Amino acid sequence: MINRRHFLTTVAIGTASAAALAACGNGSSSSGQTGSADNPVTINYTWWGNDDRAERTRKAIALFESKNPDIKVNGNFTDFAGYWQKRATEAAGGGLPDVMQWDLSYLRDYGQRNQLLDLGTVKIDTSAFEKSLLPSGQIKGKTYGIPTSTNAFAVYYDPAKLASLGIAEPTGKWTWSEFQAFLKEVGDKGNGTLYGSTDFTGVWWQFNIWLRQKNIQAFNSDGKLGFSKDDLKTWWNLNAKLRGTQAIVPEDRVTQLKPKSPFGSNVSAAEVTWDNFMAGYLADSGAKQLKLVPVPSDDPNNLGLFLKPSMLMVASAKTKFKDAAARFIDFMVNDPEVGQIFKTSRGVPASKTQRDGTTFDGADKLVVDYEKSIEQYLKDAPEPPIVGFGTLEASFGRIASDLNYGKLTVDGAVDAWFKEAEDLIKQNA
Amino acid sequence: MTTTATPIQPAPGATAPAYNPKSESTTAKRAKSAIFHAAALVLTCVVLYPAVWMVASAFKPNSEIGGQNTSLWSNNFSFDNFATAMEGIGGVSTLQFFTNSLILAIGAVVGTILSASVSAYAFARIKFPGRSLFFGMMIATLLLPFHVVIIPQYIIFQQLGLVDTYVPLLIGKFLAGDAFFVFLMVQFMRNLPAELDEAARIDGAGHVRIFTSIMLPLMKPALISTSIFSFIWSWNDFLGPLLYLNTPDKYPLPLALRLFVDQTQSSDYGAMIAMSVLALLPVLIFFLIFQRYIVEGVSTQGLKG
Amino acid sequence: MTQSPTLSRRRGHSGTALPRKSRQRGADARAGYTFLLPWLLGFIALTVGPMISSLYLSFTNYNLFEPPKWIGFDNYATLFQDERFLQSVGVTLSYVVFGTPLKLAAALAVAMLLNSKRRGQGFYRSAFYAPSLIGASVSIAIVWKAMFGDSGPVDQGLSFFGINIGGWVGNPAMTMPMMILLTVWQFGAPMVIFLAGLKQIPGELYEAASMDGAGPVRKFFNITWPMLSPVIFFNLLMETIHAFQIFASAYIISNGDGGPAGSTLFYTLYLYLRGFSDFRMGYASAMAWLLVIVVGIITLIFFRTSKSWVHYSGDAK
Repeated sequence: MINRRHFLTTVAIGTASAAALAACGNGSSSSGQTGSADNPVTINYTWWGNDDRAERTRKAIALFESKNPDIKVNGNFTDFAGYWQKRATEAAGGGLPDVMQWDLSYLRDYGQRNQLLDLGTVKIDTSAFEKSLLPSGQIKGKTYGIPTSTNAFAVYYDPAKLASLGIAEPTGKWTWSEFQAFLKEVGDKGNGTLYGSTDFTGVWWQFNIWLRQKNIQAFNSDGKLGFSKDDLKTWWNLNAKLRGTQAIVPEDRVTQLKPKSPFGSNVSAAEVTWDNFMAGYLADSGAKQLKLVPVPSDDPNNLGLFLKPSMLMVASAKTKFKDAAARFIDFMVNDPEVGQIFKTSRGVPASKTQRDGTTFDGADKLVVDYEKSIEQYLKDAPEPPIVGFGTLEASFGRIASDLNYGKLTVDGAVDAWFKEAEDLIKQNA
Repeated sequence: MTTTATPIQPAPGATAPAYNPKSESTTAKRAKSAIFHAAALVLTCVVLYPAVWMVASAFKPNSEIGGQNTSLWSNNFSFDNFATAMEGIGGVSTLQFFTNSLILAIGAVVGTILSASVSAYAFARIKFPGRSLFFGMMIATLLLPFHVVIIPQYIIFQQLGLVDTYVPLLIGKFLAGDAFFVFLMVQFMRNLPAELDEAARIDGAGHVRIFTSIMLPLMKPALISTSIFSFIWSWNDFLGPLLYLNTPDKYPLPLALRLFVDQTQSSDYGAMIAMSVLALLPVLIFFLIFQRYIVEGVSTQGLKG
Repeated sequence: MTQSPTLSRRRGHSGTALPRKSRQRGADARAGYTFLLPWLLGFIALTVGPMISSLYLSFTNYNLFEPPKWIGFDNYATLFQDERFLQSVGVTLSYVVFGTPLKLAAALAVAMLLNSKRRGQGFYRSAFYAPSLIGASVSIAIVWKAMFGDSGPVDQGLSFFGINIGGWVGNPAMTMPMMILLTVWQFGAPMVIFLAGLKQIPGELYEAASMDGAGPVRKFFNITWPMLSPVIFFNLLMETIHAFQIFASAYIISNGDGGPAGSTLFYTLYLYLRGFSDFRMGYASAMAWLLVIVVGIITLIFFRTSKSWVHYSGDAK
């Protein structure tokens, strides 16, 4: 650590300031500095999200400050893309904020490289959390993130559109071929004005769930791929007959509609994705109601579903205020009033205390009810994905898109993705 | 100059300010003017259609923006988006974002004009050892994609304790950090006739006087262009404020704008476009005011041989 | 260079006193560095260090979180086996080669059109500059996609002439023309610079040419082009460099992924993804320095050839 900083700094500002490096050493006290009501400590908290989340977070912070007069919280927010560039720059410069909202995809990148605080060393109450959920925030026995909320995979559909085509609403008890027949029926009856859904084989998490249905782990514990080229070939071949038909939204349409989704643009009747996208879909499409059912599976007893932390709370490894940071995280994930402020805008509250203290109605209730309805099928959440997972997930979607454009065959797509994945795993080994 | 350009030197004492071809009949003039306006208007329509479409979209409901909507018209025009845009974000008022943007943009204009003109004078009009070397280095700074210097630069400002202040965003402007502007002014200054400073020197003027009383007034078009560009670039800058500002009270508009379209939640494209339109107004006004100086400024009386 | 008689006389005059000349040289050196001070300070304090450190990082494996590991020329060698890298080179080259001349031609033509004393010029100038203002806004993605979308105005306009391309946005073969039109549309900045340059040309030159019976074409090649050449050179060089580094619009239009099918994977976009999404800053730095070398050579060629066609009135020495 010192070496890199020493080099960069020396080159950047000259040897004169090298002395300042001493400052980069960590404060040694275990709980960090503490404050009092007269002389509060100030911690920085940062999150990504829209104006709505900014407003809700402001309320939550005000509530926290009124209950904890010895701590002040400076809020800071940006959009999602900017968020990660800012964090990367700060991490390289050694100045991550004290407490941060986090995404599962980046937990290993930062956690495994000593940027995040082991929250097992501070006091945060996790008794109200599902035992199957907590491992998602843990790497090699250390807890780097506490889930604020959960989401689960689901098939969305628009009941009004199905009714207009005279198609019965799905029950969610279906095999893959039944699901495909459903998409085909929508496409045939929609006849160019309405498609079934996007090519669901291009979504990494859907692939991951399909692997789980076959009892295959996507990544094994030493950070390698747990599936073979043949598995991915089977997966991408699953939709071989549907690509290019009206069951699946043509790729040029998908591209043109971005950043909206075909489902949010009223171009398709169904979509497979996370259940917390509900609010976004409702706002984009202007639809009155959207419904959720479980994903298809050929094994009715194993849907491969799991609750994933839709977001986590983490702290910087270098924070000087461990105790204050822990209290703020505890408050944000457990306090019932915080649940009432955020509702399901972060996902369904993960802590039972918070969930029970929150009243849900309208679309919020639909999402909460969906997660309740699949409870019996839920299995342990996977461990945090491997280092560089964000890249792998993006290239999975990108290569699947090339596949839909006809730029690649399934075999070529599988080879291309494995080449990138193996290169990345080697790089980060 | 080896070819045909120089033979036609300005006649001493000539004052005609603009291109004024052979005297024409009034009808011919009128016809020419009509053709000009017709051509300019057609071009304006083509060029401005996207802008008009954008303004129209600011009045449409969110579900009619983006996706497969391409039409200009909507039956649901309203001011709702502007109301949302003016609400502010996370307790910071929209006016505050505007004010911050304005402070940064004016700071950028002042800093750039001061530092770039002075530095450009050195490159363009003074002969000193190392001039071409430094000039080459300055051009070289333009060639490196900025993404790879972000982190080292961040570390400098972080070590100096200047993160979350406007200093990292403005200091570069006061130190001629944007080679584009220095180079722009160098090109303009080098093209001013050499007789000017030669004559001034004979009269005993030093560099400071030549710079302030001869060069600067003649540089007006370049100075105005520089002001316009530096204002607009600062006004639109996203990355600098993103990396260096932590307190929402200090955010300029571009940071606020992007919050309306967070892709992990619901996006309010209507509010984003409405705020974009509002954000365009100050720059458009700035341009409207200053553009005429570009073409009015220079007269030729200074060029007497 | 041909010189006006007055000028030669003056130079001869000042050249007669040698001691004065050397004193002048010393004063010039002092003045030179004094005037250069702002730039010099900024260069040393803010630019040199980060540039050198990025050059160093290009020879390392650096993931932002851990100390860089020296790996010599590995990054540079890997580049040429990286298909995405090669694709980004192709994409960027076609953008530079087609986009830059078109944009400059549009800017020069419109600047000349607007450089006359007529009513309404202020309005036209502002109207033609407006796209450059909008182009930098994040809203441009939505606007541009609507313009070039399926049955959008461009599609309908072309259909009117019997050309049926459909939507450009989702068609990997049409996204490059779309990106080129986006940059041509934003011809405002070079237009303003051309206008400022045109205004520096003394009107007497045109008058004298008219009296000699020169037509518009001859006036353009004999007066406008040479007198404007420093500004043309500036715009050509700057627009070329900027085109090589195009990032913001590519990032916004493609949602940051360079799609569809990699057709908008511009060089700096790929560099950014490597550095900040994949955390391979060493690799990104190697890409950056390779670009510096290539564009540096092009710049050098521009400067060398400029001696034959760029004329500075102030350099009559």
